[in-house]
Amino acid sequence: MTLAVEFQKVSRHFGQVKAVDRVDLAIAEGAFFAMLGPSGSGKTTCLRLISGFETPTSGTIRIMGEDVSRTPPHLRNVNTVFQDYALFPHMNVRDNVAYGLMVKGVDKRSRLDRAEELLAQVKLAGYGDRKPGQLSGGQRQRVALARALINEPRVLLLDEPLGALDLKLREAMQDELKALQKRLGITFVFVTHDQNEALSMADSLAVFSEGRIAQIGTPADIYDRPATRFVADFVGSSNVLPPGLTRALGGPAAWASLRPEATRLSAAGPVTGTVTALRYQGAGTRVLLTLQGTDIAAFVPAGQPLPEPGSTIGIAFDPAALHVMEGA
Amino acid sequence: MTAPAILPVRGPGDRFTALIWRQPRVLLALMLGPPLIWLGVVYLGALIALLWQSFYSIDEFSGLVVPEFTLKTYAELLRPQNFDIFLRTVSMAALVSLASGVLAFPIAYFAARHARGRWKAAFYLGVMLPLWSSYLVKVYAWKLILAKEGIVTWAAEATHTTAALEGLLALPAIGGNSLSTSYIGTFLVFVYVWMPYMILPMQAALERVPTSMLEAAADLGATRGQIFRTVILPLALPGIIAGSIFTFSLTLGDYIIPQIIGTSKTFIGMAVYQFQGTAGNVPLAAAFAMIPIVIMLIYLAIARRMGAFDAL
Amino acid sequence: MLSDRASPGLKLAAGAGLAFLHLPILLIFLYAFTTEEKSYAFPPPGLTTQWFGIAWNREDIWPPLILSLQVAAIATVLALILGTLAAGAMARSRFFGQNQIALLLILPIALPGVVTGIALRSAFSMLDIPYSTWTIILGHATFCIVIVFNNAVARMRRLSGAILEASADLGANAFQTFRHILLPNLGTALLAGGMLAFALSFDEVIVTTFTAGQQSTLPIWMLEELVRPHQRPVTNVVAIVVFLVTVIPILLAYRLTIRGTEIAGGGK
Repeated sequence: MTLAVEFQKVSRHFGQVKAVDRVDLAIAEGAFFAMLGPSGSGKTTCLRLISGFETPTSGTIRIMGEDVSRTPPHLRNVNTVFQDYALFPHMNVRDNVAYGLMVKGVDKRSRLDRAEELLAQVKLAGYGDRKPGQLSGGQRQRVALARALINEPRVLLLDEPLGALDLKLREAMQDELKALQKRLGITFVFVTHDQNEALSMADSLAVFSEGRIAQIGTPADIYDRPATRFVADFVGSSNVLPPGLTRALGGPAAWASLRPEATRLSAAGPVTGTVTALRYQGAGTRVLLTLQGTDIAAFVPAGQPLPEPGSTIGIAFDPAALHVMEGA
Repeated sequence: MTAPAILPVRGPGDRFTALIWRQPRVLLALMLGPPLIWLGVVYLGALIALLWQSFYSIDEFSGLVVPEFTLKTYAELLRPQNFDIFLRTVSMAALVSLASGVLAFPIAYFAARHARGRWKAAFYLGVMLPLWSSYLVKVYAWKLILAKEGIVTWAAEATHTTAALEGLLALPAIGGNSLSTSYIGTFLVFVYVWMPYMILPMQAALERVPTSMLEAAADLGATRGQIFRTVILPLALPGIIAGSIFTFSLTLGDYIIPQIIGTSKTFIGMAVYQFQGTAGNVPLAAAFAMIPIVIMLIYLAIARRMGAFDAL
Repeated sequence: MLSDRASPGLKLAAGAGLAFLHLPILLIFLYAFTTEEKSYAFPPPGLTTQWFGIAWNREDIWPPLILSLQVAAIATVLALILGTLAAGAMARSRFFGQNQIALLLILPIALPGVVTGIALRSAFSMLDIPYSTWTIILGHATFCIVIVFNNAVARMRRLSGAILEASADLGANAFQTFRHILLPNLGTALLAGGMLAFALSFDEVIVTTFTAGQQSTLPIWMLEELVRPHQRPVTNVVAIVVFLVTVIPILLAYRLTIRGTEIAGGGK
């Protein structure tokens, strides 16, 4: 299997700041790959290393097996959907989309025809004569997508592509992007700080922390078996148990994670604590309780009895659901 | 999908782009080089030539320049008649800056805080036009206004205030035969010509004062006067200093206004012009020119420390 | 309490200030039509349009006018090139000595014109450079650079850097990005800067008296008429011409940068 993108011990330091530090990364061809992490974790720098707007301080970057470490951005067959879209304000939508072909010297007729085809693909047929300033956020996003696809890149990079959209539009676009990627078969690499977005869209993802990759795997790997406390915390929703509590609950004396869905309430639990709050969600209720000073969430499916806030209760779970983490 | 991951190089343009991508300093040097060489050679070179000449002196008998290093010429600056020129010019520059600041403030304040939409544009243009339009034409217009037979005399007669005008002209030191031959006239024209340079930076600084801050001050019980003194003025200060760089410097070096409107007393700019021209004493002219340079460099250093450069 | 309404006192002071700035210029227009030839008597005893014809036929006005236009045109082109390059370097990167270079750029307008003038003159005399059109241009271009620089750098700072990256990302090399992306977005700011530089150069007299030698630009011609008037109303007509040649580019520059306080700062 060819790797679309490969990092070998890639570092990018800005003076003392190690924005990216000895990162190894392999992204399979045709993957929908997410780079997830808080701001400043190095995910955006990694994306810019692929597009060529940053140069590695050390290490090797390969795209489709070719070493591009010394290749400038304009010669890399990789295109980007920029965070704020970066549409050219002085050109109309059609010329924006056709730009990649224009600078390649493709004649006007063919490039404009091709631009129209792409606009139709992103459901913007008939918008070619507008200026970017006359479009809504969602429409601009589609133009940026069409513009980045016209050169038929080997890898498409997306920098927080949905960040500027409101929630409803964001969810619709998630599905559309996913469908588009399936249809085109191009490798998509996208950067996001939104764990739900990463988990729901990507085939596989890397979680970044302080310039390094904390964990790399499928969404299920990351969600069910976070490698470190950082991943468990950042991906959220999983309970992070300190060694003392893990032990009290019947596990080894180590940090562990436990998904709320895998727990049930049990008055006779090995450890009991106080219910602090109830959060109603569609399919059930999240019960928040404090066990030995640690906040824990348990999930109660709809229709089952709920405890009163302030009451004392414990939790029980299938031992297999307790995931012990190596990294502390 | 068989397209390669690396596109072929199409020609020298691509090769150059690759070069400046690998060595961003090359592009920086290429862009910075020509303007720096121009300013370095033409401007700084000329300033150094000037500095150099100020250390020469003039032979009192032959009137020729003696190309030998000496501080004699600088010592001449301290002679009473030359020192008077210095004092006269610097005090005029200070007064003009002060008056410009006072007159500019209402305009800048109104434009920054009250004018909206079309009015704002009108105010902006209303300041831009006099700022950029011909300097000589403006000076000339004042010659028409202040002339003995001109509009001011006429207006004084029409409003029966001739006595007040004559009283003003009768004042010792700053009065004169007519406004166009008095210090009052010189001062008025200086203020007129340089004031727009004060308005724009002042307005820019005032626009940066958030309205919420003024409301907070009012909310805490400050009176209008207190708000002005304790909030508006300190925050507008960088803009006022930035503006005064221009009003001060331009007054300091001008030799045309005092020559056309005013007494025939010499200002620094006139001294520079006359010594290098008719008197042929280039070293003394050069030494005189050093005065505004030194004053302005100190002024710029202080202005920079007070954050005035952001308001430029 | 604070209100959004200006107090009458403030309105009056602001209005009076603006009137103070504009009325004197209007007077020039009136005086160009006066029948009084020997003095600046007000009100003019009568009105006539004859001075426009007389000025047109004056042989001594045309060569200075043409020289001024030539100088302003060439100085503007030089300033456009040098000012844009400097803006490109200063807007996009951080480097050692940047503050000193900013100071160097602003120095020709922060120091009085008489300093620039005498400095150039002493350099010319030390190097035995004879006075020519080029010695005038040398001085003018020097103080015009910062005008273009201020306009260009303000626009570049506002321009999103991402569109330049987007262009490279789509396969454009540096020249293509410059031509298709940077230039169209910078165009009006450069045009505005160029217009202002032209207006400034066309009108300049302080530096020019030092660098012109025996040549006469239109402002120098006017200055001589001011010191030793021959035919006052003809000078008035020339003043109107000079005023218009400087004001029209200013108005155009304003239109080009309509959004911006871009032409604010710099000053002359």
